Amino acid sequence: MKPFFQNTLKLTFPAALLLLAMSAASAQEPRLQISNLDYLAGKASQTVDVNVDEHLLQMTAKFLGNDPDDKEIKDLVSGLKGIYVKVFEFEHENEYSAADVDSIRTQLRQPGWAKILTFTSKKEGSVEVYLMTANDRISGLALLALDPKELTIVNIVGPVDLSKLSKLEGNFGVPDLHIEAPAKTKPKN
Amino acid sequence: MAKLKFIFLTFICLLLLGGSATSARGDDFGAAVKTIEQFYRVKHQSIPLLARAGMKAATTAARIKGGEYKRIAEAGSVKVAFFQDQEFDSQGNIPSFRTALAKAIGGTWSPLVQTFAPREEEQTYVFIRLAGEKFNVLVVTLGRHEGTVVQVNVNPHTLALLMQSPDDMGKAITDDATQNDN
Repeated sequence: MKPFFQNTLKLTFPAALLLLAMSAASAQEPRLQISNLDYLAGKASQTVDVNVDEHLLQMTAKFLGNDPDDKEIKDLVSGLKGIYVKVFEFEHENEYSAADVDSIRTQLRQPGWAKILTFTSKKEGSVEVYLMTANDRISGLALLALDPKELTIVNIVGPVDLSKLSKLEGNFGVPDLHIEAPAKTKPKN
Repeated sequence: MAKLKFIFLTFICLLLLGGSATSARGDDFGAAVKTIEQFYRVKHQSIPLLARAGMKAATTAARIKGGEYKRIAEAGSVKVAFFQDQEFDSQGNIPSFRTALAKAIGGTWSPLVQTFAPREEEQTYVFIRLAGEKFNVLVVTLGRHEGTVVQVNVNPHTLALLMQSPDDMGKAITDDATQNDN
């Protein structure tokens, strides 16, 4: 009987370690799980769901032209691993629930994610921007735009250059979010 | 001699069976059309021979990226199925259709863009997959009374241009494949 337990322990311990490592890795995942919101497509008056994976992004970067605009987009997307966008527009207010939003926010409370911006206005709802960093480098960005009649989630996976982020608006399915490039600080004399 | 004939015929039958099984597996365009027919109880229409010939000869164009006109589909790669004057009523069950469609076409396709407007019964699906050095793009567009399923081959450069505005991609490809500019 004893060898059985010993053998089981021998097998279980590395397996447990592996599982622990895997769960830690998934906790650091810059890609959000947002497919649980797909059911909202049945309630929304308009839904847009865009999934651009790494392969497509790299292929796009490879074949973009060399004019300044294309080059800037090429530089921006060349290191990215994915762009995922979901936009739900509703006819009436409060058709999505707090639980829907919490399912995303819970992921954004995991280690590595930090909220860098919250903007709230009565008219336009609220916008929250989160960054994931690993080894002092940005590895992902998430944007939650919450309007009483509209829910937008943008998840960019990979090293995002914040100064060029606004270039992505209107490209690769990223909606116009009026993202302002960070102002350049004047050198102190 | 009879035995040899029997072996030869068996061999031919096996070849034919194998071939049809392969094409059935690979015909995701057909699977998409069939899923629409089964879910909505509608029937697709074949394109008349003359129209098909016209389409082939036409220099179809689509607007890509701010005024640049280019042909999207690679020559000879276009597959089209139309649904006209029919009733597409999801009865609030668009998510089920979405799941059924994704399941029907199989795991080799990636869902690039999906748009829905249930009140107007409007749905667009753009799926994409690598095919050698090109890409297969499958576009399903449904409205309240009509629908289109289009499959085309697209070269990487054209796809790169289309990718910048994925929301318009389905319409651009469908227009390219179904309109002629004669």
